[in-house]
Amino acid sequence: MKTKIQVSDLKVHYGNIQALNGISFDVYENEILGIIGPAQSGKTTLLKVINRTLEFAQGTTVEGSVQLDGVDIYSIRDVHGLRRRIGMVLPLPVGLPLSIYDNVAFAPRTAGMRKKAELDEIVERCLQQAALWDEVKDRLDSLGTKLSGGQQQRLTIARALSHQPEILCLDEFSIAVDPITTMRIEDVLKTLKDEMTILLVTNLVQQAKRLANRTAFMLNGDLIEIDDTDVIFSDNPASQSTFDYITGNFG
Amino acid sequence: MKRSELIFQSIALITLAVAFILFWNFSKGVSFVENGTLFDATVTDSYSVLQENLNRMIPILLGAILFSVAIAFYLEEYLARTSWKYQIIARQIAILASIPSLLYGILGTYFFVFKTEFGSFFTHALTFVLLVLPITIQSTQRAIRGVDISVREAAYALGAKRRHVIVHHVFPHAFSTIMAGIFIAISRTLAISALIIVVYVWTEHTPQSGDPFHIPGSVIVLLLLSLLSSVLSSFLEAKTNWS
Repeated sequence: MKTKIQVSDLKVHYGNIQALNGISFDVYENEILGIIGPAQSGKTTLLKVINRTLEFAQGTTVEGSVQLDGVDIYSIRDVHGLRRRIGMVLPLPVGLPLSIYDNVAFAPRTAGMRKKAELDEIVERCLQQAALWDEVKDRLDSLGTKLSGGQQQRLTIARALSHQPEILCLDEFSIAVDPITTMRIEDVLKTLKDEMTILLVTNLVQQAKRLANRTAFMLNGDLIEIDDTDVIFSDNPASQSTFDYITGNFG
Repeated sequence: MKRSELIFQSIALITLAVAFILFWNFSKGVSFVENGTLFDATVTDSYSVLQENLNRMIPILLGAILFSVAIAFYLEEYLARTSWKYQIIARQIAILASIPSLLYGILGTYFFVFKTEFGSFFTHALTFVLLVLPITIQSTQRAIRGVDISVREAAYALGAKRRHVIVHHVFPHAFSTIMAGIFIAISRTLAISALIIVVYVWTEHTPQSGDPFHIPGSVIVLLLLSLLSSVLSSFLEAKTNWS
């Protein structure tokens, strides 16, 4: 399997607080890697390092390396181009003050795409992938921020898919989405796996079990264990704390 | 008497008093406005001084607003708050904003009128800009800071450049708050200007007739301007409500 992302001895500090304590692992191409762990374990920080949005938090320091296709992401000068290669879905929907159509067309436009027909095709495809097309196809010009919470989150997913990323980072994407829609999006993720690598941060261990090829368990900034999902969710994972977490003994 | 009744009666009395003052003012002032002196800037009374000032203030005001918004965005979006540039500029603005407005008037009169060769327009412009700019910059800065970091992160995560994030996301989100701050700054300036104009005319001009000052007329104009400002502010807030 080809390595897509290689994380080596990654340490992150927010001022004096250490969020990641030197973690190392690989992410393979076209896999879904589930990342589970209780709050404050460094999951979101890890995603923000990968798409370099951690740079907006003042007073943070990053040590170690994260390589994307063998290239250190911090050596990449075109950071906007890097971020277009990585789609990001945040836990709560962030409504951009634009119409539904413009929300999805925003990233392709910033990348220079101007042809209406191409944009129309992208908007429809992404909204369908995010299981939102049927609900909004007749009101694409209305404000995205006026949609319900669950619809806005699906719009966020459509937006993340609009620039055809190589990697899709999902950070607790189902918090604001109802169970039925969650299942529909999960089905979409299974098909998207053929086109991209997916990092799925989730507090729902059963979601990781359903979707992920491999699962990583993080705790207090440490990577406790990473292995095939079947192994992690078996009765004999390598670490006792992993077993305790997935069986609900803590967290 | 119950406390609620006392409060209710007090409010009713105050409302009645305000209504009486407004009625008196309008009954005195409408005739002045109707006499055609509304657009006659040659009348040397408080109203014409006010009108002359307003004519000059509008272009200066627009320039000052654009300038202050640009400075605020530069400070908040392009400079790190820990940088020495940010610290120096922000502190100077804070000091300027905290100076009582009257001192700007004295400064304007002393420095721009007595000590320089500037014409009247520049005297007005420089004094006014000095008075308004620090307040509008600070209010715009607060509006920009009020935009949640997640909005920026979401836009940057899509590969947007800084200018895209500012124009398409931060500015629209902050717009209503920016405008509210600007309207407050304008209202404050109008209120102070009105007081100074009234005092100036009263002390400098000898009355030739019974009531040459037309203060009620000036008050009507100020009230209408305040009303217009309030309506415009509400309209903009309604039009820019993204949530």
